[in-house]
Amino acid sequence: MPEWLLKDESYIPESDKDTFINKSILSLLGLLARIRTQGCDKTDKYFVHAALKVAFTFLLILLLSISRNFTFIVISMVYLLVILSLMRGKEILHILKVSSAMALFTFIVLLPSAFWGNGYSIVTITSKVLATIIAVNILSHSAKWNSITSALKVFHVPDIFIFVLDITIKYIAMLGEFSLYMLYALKLRSVGKNHNKYAALSGIAGTLFIKSKEMAEEMHAAMECRGFTGEYSVHNRFKFTAADFIYILINAGLLTIFVYLERI
Amino acid sequence: MIELTNVSYAYAGIDALKDVSLRIEKGEAVALMGANGSGKSTLLKIINGIVSPDSGAYRFNNEEITPKKLKDTKFAKLFHQKIGFVFQNSDTQLFCTNVYDEIAFGPRQMGMDEADVEQRVNDCLSLLNIQDFKSRQPYHLSGGEKRKVAIASVLALNPEVLVLDEPMNGLDPRTQRWLVEFLIMLNKAGKTILTSTHNLELVQEISQRAVLFGEDHSIAADMATTKLLTETDLLKKVNLVDEYYHRHDGDQHVHFHLHNY
Repeated sequence: MPEWLLKDESYIPESDKDTFINKSILSLLGLLARIRTQGCDKTDKYFVHAALKVAFTFLLILLLSISRNFTFIVISMVYLLVILSLMRGKEILHILKVSSAMALFTFIVLLPSAFWGNGYSIVTITSKVLATIIAVNILSHSAKWNSITSALKVFHVPDIFIFVLDITIKYIAMLGEFSLYMLYALKLRSVGKNHNKYAALSGIAGTLFIKSKEMAEEMHAAMECRGFTGEYSVHNRFKFTAADFIYILINAGLLTIFVYLERI
Repeated sequence: MIELTNVSYAYAGIDALKDVSLRIEKGEAVALMGANGSGKSTLLKIINGIVSPDSGAYRFNNEEITPKKLKDTKFAKLFHQKIGFVFQNSDTQLFCTNVYDEIAFGPRQMGMDEADVEQRVNDCLSLLNIQDFKSRQPYHLSGGEKRKVAIASVLALNPEVLVLDEPMNGLDPRTQRWLVEFLIMLNKAGKTILTSTHNLELVQEISQRAVLFGEDHSIAADMATTKLLTETDLLKKVNLVDEYYHRHDGDQHVHFHLHNY
């Protein structure tokens, strides 16, 4: 046993900033918490099938992007805000934060064009961006990610593509957790002044890359052992409910309003 | 040394620890026992300052450890130097390009000159009998070898307390035996050892005292390890042994049979 190990360490650390590690830990924790709550917290809200949500969200985005009528954008915004108001406070706050930030960014980027007399375009495009991002966020917060990916089956998206999406989400969670623990280890052992913090991050990235390669190889081997020969089939049972019917009606109404307003 | 008072913690509303009070003195060897998901790992995270309790207080060396204090980098670094944490998955703990740098990471951070760092790394390598791995990449090592490097990397900080999360998991019997003897040696050298485990066969060798967690995430018992191992009903209740658990008494020969079928 070396002598230094038998004595208490008389060590006074120098102060150093840990913001980089702490921020990385917090952002990873946020991501993992979102993925975890996707799994247990959320039953598909409003009982509407994910395939319908995906289809009508896509349709709404399409209508918003081709619409030349500001009234339609306002009506769409009202519709989206009504849906948003049915969600939990935390979700509303998150969605509004993200959407407002993007809309503000668009507004700032377009601001110089106001000097050339394009004031109306700025308002329209910013509103469209705001509505689009709210719509996508509502979809992402109100449907489980795996039900969104399997809903793609309804639209005849190739099974292998759906499988890759599913596995990607799974691996973001697993590798996210892995990197979180690596950051914890880095934080716990960062007991002094680290002049080269980013070198430690490259070590983490390298290990993460090797780990993901190993996991991919292991999963491929496991799939082969269970008879995987390159084809993967996704099963999606679609049961039509009253909620689905109401949802279709509301969206059909929006489509009618769009056609009517564009014809004026 | 370590004192937890009415500590509770929940992950997204799901209880992980409920009203846990615990005091660990310097030089003790304590085992945290309990079934999967009983809260052992969460408690270790709190003790290491990775997470902070939702309620209750945690004191280390008579100083309360709070999120505010841990934001003071100088305080946090000194605190982390005093408590070394060996993670359950060694892969997550090793992030340097070779074993030497991995072990040298802590001492270099502490501002030691390179000669002292080399001395300390070489001491750790020989203490854990891993001199041959000095230049190898950590991710090319076997599970047992990675565990040894992870322990060496923490030991190089010379912490007062060594916390190990399920250290026997995934190790072959010979490496398990080596680890048991190594922990006993460290404890005899004055280190406080805190181990989470559900390995009933080795727990009495690595600890004098055992803290048993129930499935309700609170402490079900806190007593001498040898005594706890005789409390069959209690162990059964917290899901640490199955109903076929039995014990042969004998002057020289006390052992357990864990039947899983």
